[in-house]
Amino acid sequence: MSDGVRRSPSLEVRGAESPPLNRMGIALLSLVGLFIAGYMLLYKLGWIGALACGVAGSCNVVQASSWAVFLEIPVPAWGVGGYTALLIVALAGIQPGLAGDRRVGLVVVALGAIAFVFSAYLTVLEAFVIHAWCRWCVGSAVLATLIFILSLAELRRPRSR
Amino acid sequence: MKGQKKAGATKGTNLRAFYVVFAVVALAGIAALGYAVAGRGGQVATEPVELAGMQDMRALVETAKGVTIGESSAPVKLIVFSDYQCPWCGVFASRVKPLLEANEVKAGKLQIVFYDFPLGGGHKHSFVAARAARCAADQGRFWEYHDVLFGQQSRWSAKAATPLAEFEEYAGELGLDPSAFEGCLKSDRYAEMVTANRLLGEALGVNATPTVIINNKRVSNPLDYEELSKQIAQEPGA
Repeated sequence: MSDGVRRSPSLEVRGAESPPLNRMGIALLSLVGLFIAGYMLLYKLGWIGALACGVAGSCNVVQASSWAVFLEIPVPAWGVGGYTALLIVALAGIQPGLAGDRRVGLVVVALGAIAFVFSAYLTVLEAFVIHAWCRWCVGSAVLATLIFILSLAELRRPRSR
Repeated sequence: MKGQKKAGATKGTNLRAFYVVFAVVALAGIAALGYAVAGRGGQVATEPVELAGMQDMRALVETAKGVTIGESSAPVKLIVFSDYQCPWCGVFASRVKPLLEANEVKAGKLQIVFYDFPLGGGHKHSFVAARAARCAADQGRFWEYHDVLFGQQSRWSAKAATPLAEFEEYAGELGLDPSAFEGCLKSDRYAEMVTANRLLGEALGVNATPTVIINNKRVSNPLDYEELSKQIAQEPGA
């Protein structure tokens, strides 16, 4: 070390990792998802009078259905929680010290998989049970799918990290 | 060494670029949410809005959200559809409801469920009045505001312009947070809910106000407390 500061070898190895692009993508998509879920939650709480849903949309029908609550908590609140968790983990995962950390990657994959499965379940409900579409729910489902696809890159990370 | 420096610089550039994009998206999202909450630039919803899919009764009831007094376990439910510009609704609110509250509700026999039924037409402020009462409900003062609206009906009802100043004044008199109330009133908040109230009334055959329904039976004279009280007493469990 020319500057005279002692650093642990493992920190140097981790520090040498470039910030993973997939985690950056996940962080950005999670941020967008957080705003979508937040918008829906504000509507559910009455802070927004009407959802911008397009002429053919039926957002209010989906939001008013009994499926809009899961385990006694409004579905958008689950979305806010899930996207916040993904955002925090993805942002942590691009920091120099954690860029190569496999454990962070596994948490990202787990959260991405949960988001994907839950979104798929909600989309099936919209299509076959509620018979109404909400563009924001569909948008969130697309984001969850993209996040899950990006998270799969974590499985290719070497185990030693 | 040179290669390491170059790699470090690239990493730094990547992260910096990411943070710039992240900040732009974050600011855009916060601005969009703020705009939505503030009521899309201050437009005031004064009329019913388009509401899809309300053929489903369950969705309609869920969207309408009646306001209640009394225990949900009470054996008798009295549903009232009311318009804030309707004088007879004012009579029901000021003379009949207090008696029901003091007697049947207090005894645990009755729950009152209030729904808006803004008639429109000559009652052009009743929709926004209904929204104002829902805005007061945000601060836990629905019934107080409801009483003030009916008490002051002759004052605000005759105004040519939308009586927003009067509604804000009443909120101030009740000690509501003025900026929160104004933000709600001067937006489209509760426009869907009040519209759904009206649609629910239509679905139940309501064509006049006040319409009172006791355990699914429509009352012929809702302004006669004695008759209402008798009918409530005849209901099973009362």
